Amino acid sequence: MNEQLIAAYSSQADGLEGTIPGVDGLRKMALNGFEEQGFPTSKTEEWRYSDMRRFHKQPFELANKPETADVPEALGETAARFVFVNGRYDEEASDLGDVWQAISIRPLANHFMSNEYRVDEIIRGTDGVSLLNTALMRDGLVLSIPAGIEIDEPIEIVHVMKGGENAAAHVRHVIEMGEYASVTVIERFVGDDSNYWTNSVLQARVTEGAKLRHVRVQEEGPNATHTGKAYVNLGGGSEYLCTSVALGANMSRFDAIARVLEEGANAVVNGVALAATGQSHDMHTDISHIVPHSNSDQVFRTVADARGKTSFQGKVTVAQDAQRTLADQSFKALVFDKTAEANAKPELEIHADDVKCSHGATIGQLDDKAIFYLTSRGIDPVTARQMLVAAFTAEALEKIEFDDVKQALMGRIATWMLDRADRVGTAG
Amino acid sequence: MLKIKDLHASVDGTEILKGVNLEVKAGEVHAIMGLNGAGKSTLANTIAGRDDYEVTQGTVEFEGKNLLDLEPHERVGEGLFLGFQYPVEIPGVSNLNFMRTALNSVRKYRGMDDMSAAEFMKLIRKKASDLGMAPDMLKRFVNVGFSGGEKKRNEMVQMAVLDPKLAILDETDSGLDIDALKTVAAGINVQRRDDTAILLITHYQRLLDYVEPDVVHVMIDGKIIKSGGKELAVELEEKGYADVA
Repeated sequence: MNEQLIAAYSSQADGLEGTIPGVDGLRKMALNGFEEQGFPTSKTEEWRYSDMRRFHKQPFELANKPETADVPEALGETAARFVFVNGRYDEEASDLGDVWQAISIRPLANHFMSNEYRVDEIIRGTDGVSLLNTALMRDGLVLSIPAGIEIDEPIEIVHVMKGGENAAAHVRHVIEMGEYASVTVIERFVGDDSNYWTNSVLQARVTEGAKLRHVRVQEEGPNATHTGKAYVNLGGGSEYLCTSVALGANMSRFDAIARVLEEGANAVVNGVALAATGQSHDMHTDISHIVPHSNSDQVFRTVADARGKTSFQGKVTVAQDAQRTLADQSFKALVFDKTAEANAKPELEIHADDVKCSHGATIGQLDDKAIFYLTSRGIDPVTARQMLVAAFTAEALEKIEFDDVKQALMGRIATWMLDRADRVGTAG
Repeated sequence: MLKIKDLHASVDGTEILKGVNLEVKAGEVHAIMGLNGAGKSTLANTIAGRDDYEVTQGTVEFEGKNLLDLEPHERVGEGLFLGFQYPVEIPGVSNLNFMRTALNSVRKYRGMDDMSAAEFMKLIRKKASDLGMAPDMLKRFVNVGFSGGEKKRNEMVQMAVLDPKLAILDETDSGLDIDALKTVAAGINVQRRDDTAILLITHYQRLLDYVEPDVVHVMIDGKIIKSGGKELAVELEEKGYADVA
């Protein structure tokens, strides 16, 4: 690892001393970890499909908080909206709705003040990117949903970047769900045209019977780099339903790491990624079944235009005691031509003998016969392709319970197809 | 309505149609009969505009327009319909969404407004019920898990909804039991009017017992070699293609 890079990030961490009371020691530890291993490279197995060169060229600088920023409209009805601009909470742009009456909302900066032990609950991560998030986290949201509280409408967390060239934001959200609590969190990522970096971590503890629905909509600016992680621990009979949609950024990556710690839990991680020319989207899952009787399911659908790239690495680990685990994984990719790339690497590590685990991966092109069938009924070829891609991605969006949100995302997919109408929209 | 002159078409460089001449007028039902590989399906697909069928010579005129200049969906807008020999399964697209998008696409081509959802539901329920299609089939994905007969019935519902001027039905009778055949035939007969025309492509005379053709053509090796009245179909059935040709 380049000395200058290390020194730059180390001085960034020093500059954050005292900004979040209680975490200086944690920062130091994470920074030490980062210094030891640096950023992953394409030789690191878990990062083999990610082009990491940008991280090795020059350091990304911590973004300053700007005066104002344009905040996109909500995808649908929301219970509350929390806006982060350049990784910092923007109170004016946020809308707390009524949920503050039912749940506890704190900025990360105040989280540890009277609860120093909570620092130990912060997940440091094991790779350079996560370690750096821990070393450089500046802000975030701590949501605690008390036992039995069900929030009917989604809580949107909007991340806006307008920090200019080489700016970076490291945000950390912490979600704690009491028993039988229920909430939908929509994370959104948007930004300007500069080559900034968003490095986001969401960690959640979903206790017994609780239900966390997590929708991630990545629409970063066209030159951005996006790395995101969700660390989720699942208690007995709890449920985590994640749907990630990757549309923006030059290079994006999302890791979902779910640990099924008690019986009867269900982890579902689904995703859609659309890679335009020159774009790459990586999706990683790492789901561990540690106890018997739990389920996991993964449905990923990706589409890559010419010289676009989508990759999926899906890992499922079933411990020796985790009998009667049901784990399914399905990855399907569409490529528009020979220069488009789709990678799939399912990894099943099964130590128990009474389990049902399956995985499937297919890569193909839009079915010409289906296109002809649709056009032979009067449907123009652009609409025909939109319909087929909508159908192709539908299964991965199925777990989104809010129709307005689902419709908004389907609209994004239809627009993406329309944008390509002149190149792939002619018959044949 | 349809005028085909000296049509030659190739698939992957192999010439399949070797000079087809055919004229179909409004109010007529024509049947094209012939053995496998004679070029019947190629003719149907070429008229519909499937792009792996390359026209190398000849003309196809539909209502005075050069059909070969039009994209497949534009041909449908002009009033053409192809009933598929093997209807395609489209997972993830519901039959309802499919037919509504199709109908509104055709209306748009003709400069008409979209049909309202309520009006469309009324129309589709009527057409489905006329053709004996269970209402829940409309909600299912297009042709996915449909039996052979259900797929052909679905083709007939689509035809009824789009109400084409010219319907080309490619082996619509194949794989049907007698009850399904009767339903399909009834659907075709409803579509038979003074202002419409129907081109039936079939192996067997069976369908022609229920849909009486005005003209029967025999196709062999990429050409129509003989045309006649409905009695020609009976003769073919009795004597076989070799003797009739």
